[in-house]
Amino acid sequence: MMKTILKAKLPEMLEQLAKEYKVLVPAKLEGVSRFAAYRENLELALDENVTMPPKDIFFPQTEEMYKFAAKDQSLEIEEIPQDEKLQVIFGVRSCDMKSIDCLDQVFLTKGFSDPFYQDKRDRSILIALSCVKPMESCFCTSMGIDPQKGQGADIQAYDLGEKLAFEGITERGQEVLNKVSGMFAEEDAAIPPMGEFNLTANVEGVPEKLKNMFDHSIWDDISRKCLNCSACAYVCPTCHCFDIASEVRGEDGVKIRCWDCCMFDEYTVMAGGHQPRPGKKERVRNRFLHKLRYFPERYNMLLCTGCGRCVVKCPVNLDITNVIKKIKEA
Amino acid sequence: MSEMTKKMQEIAREILVKGEAEVVIGWEKGTFWYLSPPAFIDKPEDVQRLVWDDFCHNNLSKYLVDLKNHEGKAAVFVKGCDSRAFNRLLQDKQIAREKVVLIGIPCPGLLDQDKAKELGKNSDLPKAQKCLDCQYPNPLVYDYYLGDKEALNEVAATKEAADYSDVAAIEAMSPDERYDFWTKQYDRCIRCYACRNVCPACSCRECVFDQTRVGWIGKANNSSENQFFALTRAMHVAGRCIECGECERACPMDIPIMLLNKKLVKDINELFGEYDAGIDIEGKLPLGHFDKNDPEEFM
Amino acid sequence: MAVNVEDVKKINPLVPIKAKVTRIVQETPDVKTFHISTMDDQKPFDPMPGQLGMLSLPLVGEGMFSITNKGENHIEMALKEVGQLTKALHEIEVGQEVGIRGPYGNGFPIDYCKGKDLLIIGGGIGLAPVRSLIMHCIKNRDDFGKLTVVYGARSKSDLCFQEDLFENWTKVPNMDVFVTIDREEEGWDGHVGFVPAYVEELAPKPQVTVLCGPPIMIKFTLPSLQKMNFSDQDIITTLEMRMKCGIGKCGRCNIGSCYVCLDGPVFTMEQLKDLPPEY
Repeated sequence: MMKTILKAKLPEMLEQLAKEYKVLVPAKLEGVSRFAAYRENLELALDENVTMPPKDIFFPQTEEMYKFAAKDQSLEIEEIPQDEKLQVIFGVRSCDMKSIDCLDQVFLTKGFSDPFYQDKRDRSILIALSCVKPMESCFCTSMGIDPQKGQGADIQAYDLGEKLAFEGITERGQEVLNKVSGMFAEEDAAIPPMGEFNLTANVEGVPEKLKNMFDHSIWDDISRKCLNCSACAYVCPTCHCFDIASEVRGEDGVKIRCWDCCMFDEYTVMAGGHQPRPGKKERVRNRFLHKLRYFPERYNMLLCTGCGRCVVKCPVNLDITNVIKKIKEA
Repeated sequence: MSEMTKKMQEIAREILVKGEAEVVIGWEKGTFWYLSPPAFIDKPEDVQRLVWDDFCHNNLSKYLVDLKNHEGKAAVFVKGCDSRAFNRLLQDKQIAREKVVLIGIPCPGLLDQDKAKELGKNSDLPKAQKCLDCQYPNPLVYDYYLGDKEALNEVAATKEAADYSDVAAIEAMSPDERYDFWTKQYDRCIRCYACRNVCPACSCRECVFDQTRVGWIGKANNSSENQFFALTRAMHVAGRCIECGECERACPMDIPIMLLNKKLVKDINELFGEYDAGIDIEGKLPLGHFDKNDPEEFM
Repeated sequence: MAVNVEDVKKINPLVPIKAKVTRIVQETPDVKTFHISTMDDQKPFDPMPGQLGMLSLPLVGEGMFSITNKGENHIEMALKEVGQLTKALHEIEVGQEVGIRGPYGNGFPIDYCKGKDLLIIGGGIGLAPVRSLIMHCIKNRDDFGKLTVVYGARSKSDLCFQEDLFENWTKVPNMDVFVTIDREEEGWDGHVGFVPAYVEELAPKPQVTVLCGPPIMIKFTLPSLQKMNFSDQDIITTLEMRMKCGIGKCGRCNIGSCYVCLDGPVFTMEQLKDLPPEY
């Protein structure tokens, strides 16, 4: 038996939850779809995955870390209090659920836990949403992901066409469902089968093969058309590199961290001018080795979830599935 | 295979076999039917990758900036807009004419990729906005020319007057409305710099936005920094923008960047006389020289 | 209370604490050593030899530097003036309040080195990271075997830590210090020549070698060490990459799947052989 609700009734349910939690939903905003705080008349984006992944909920593009004031020889440092409200994030697809697992590995393991990330992560209750029809750029199954079951979800929602079904997974998730239990019908519901995928990638053996491909000529070939912009990294649900910078006004300032990208010259150039990754080839190679070899070596999982956003958004169609194919054929 | 694709492959093979250039830059089929990204061909046996179709959007002259310090010669396919970009780079002494072999292609106007994605393969697709606005579909400079010259004149004769109605609509707004409009657009900018990096007018050795240590622009993503970025870039390419529309196509956030660029083209026309960048390389740049008759109300 | 590497995990590792500069030593025309204590005259944290600290003048920026020594109530960092931040730091005076966070990185394998004869090779500012190890060995003299230091710089005035080189370290039992400069100069009666050749000439017989200096010095010293039949495990060096976070999150200091700020900066030759040569 599953808890079901008509899709038409979803806004009502979200409205109800918004009284208690901060509720984030996939929404169609001007020019782009992304997660946004639920409000009345917000156009929900439920047909396809959103353009911008949910990573900025936990890891905003720009985040204030602490304030400071410096005058003559003196210095004051002041931490910035974090929001404390629990947030419910509705409609996270399986690929993006997996990306949160990748981000958790980076920000919460290997000796140090990142307090800024952890705080937002701990306050989040995740409602995963199953897919029915893959977009033409989707290849999550190639990355070992089940598009109908979000890893690490507190609640799994299933798209049944006219209706949505909900299944509480964790205690926290169950609690959220209990708040709106009156709105559900209890019924047996069959989850519709998943449609055919247009795009695939065979990653079997790729991390291992890449161990001996650092000096391979394919990197010259692959990197040539790259423009070294960061469209791929900034729409990627797993790319997590950041810069720490200061915003200074006179004697006051705030330390911020912002998304950064390994395609930029400034990313690795050192104070004396030494640049360990001077050109397109070195940067593109680092990007793909990070996704397909370094991250698996360090965290035992790929840093790609097959969401296909970079395939769609790259201005020169530098397609990671094609890169994987070239690696396999090399 | 289209007639034009066949011609492209033939000429590319000939150029490589004769050693006229060591690389040929063209387009090939991408992941989806409506994508035809850039292709670099080094070997005669690889020429069959080259295609010409309705989606060869990338302005290939941009890649010549990468080859500035490269020893050998490159052959590049140019549509009207690519050729204007080439002229502009030549005018700015960014490339040496003798290091490039240009293969001109008359362009009938390309199709809108976003609409292609949305409507599917067997639908009646509209032309890309940038192509609807195009005044120069035919290459202005070339060493080889693919296509019949008759058709070239025909297309040239049918070119319509530039349409600035979209710019006029923005101009008609009150300053507050206009500010709101642009703030809304640029608040979603993620500053990935795809617009800059795809732009053939952006050829600075070191971009002002990369000089983060100097502090011209902060790395924070907010209205103020994003607008500073947008306005600085628009002003910097003013008078040099050849209206290929690649910035807008490349933008992952669908920001109407060309609207800003077109406004500057229109202003330059009105203030300094009709001027199209990348047409006459001997002529003076409207913003690159001083003329006693220049308007100076704004000084 | 000084925090150690375990404590820093409990506080926000990305937010610096306020500290003050208590002493500044002009080492060479472009290198200064800064002594740093907390506002209540404590060590800001308790680093292991070879670990790093993030020092900041918040209006200018923050930078990762190796810690050259620790005292009862302070830590020391030697900085060469190369960029915007180090230029600003070279202009400050005693009493300046700064931000500091750390310690970061793995540090030298002290336990592995215990009881062994050590050869420590430094070039230019490269003596800074290994100085913490030398100071540790001197403080715990009986824990280690013979200590040999070979250090070189471009000229006499470019030699860092001259008081150590010519005074303090010469008095330490079972320790030899050999100093060389690249070219002859007036007033210098010591050795002249490059470090790699000097090492070969001296032909010391240590069990473990630690080297740190410009890439060119490392490149030419390695063959000399290989001639001396060292195993890769017994050649230790430190690496530098641009760093921002210090805790292995921000991404930029990766060499292969290692992060220099977390898994380094100290690497054995054996480890380096498995990493891509991208530093």
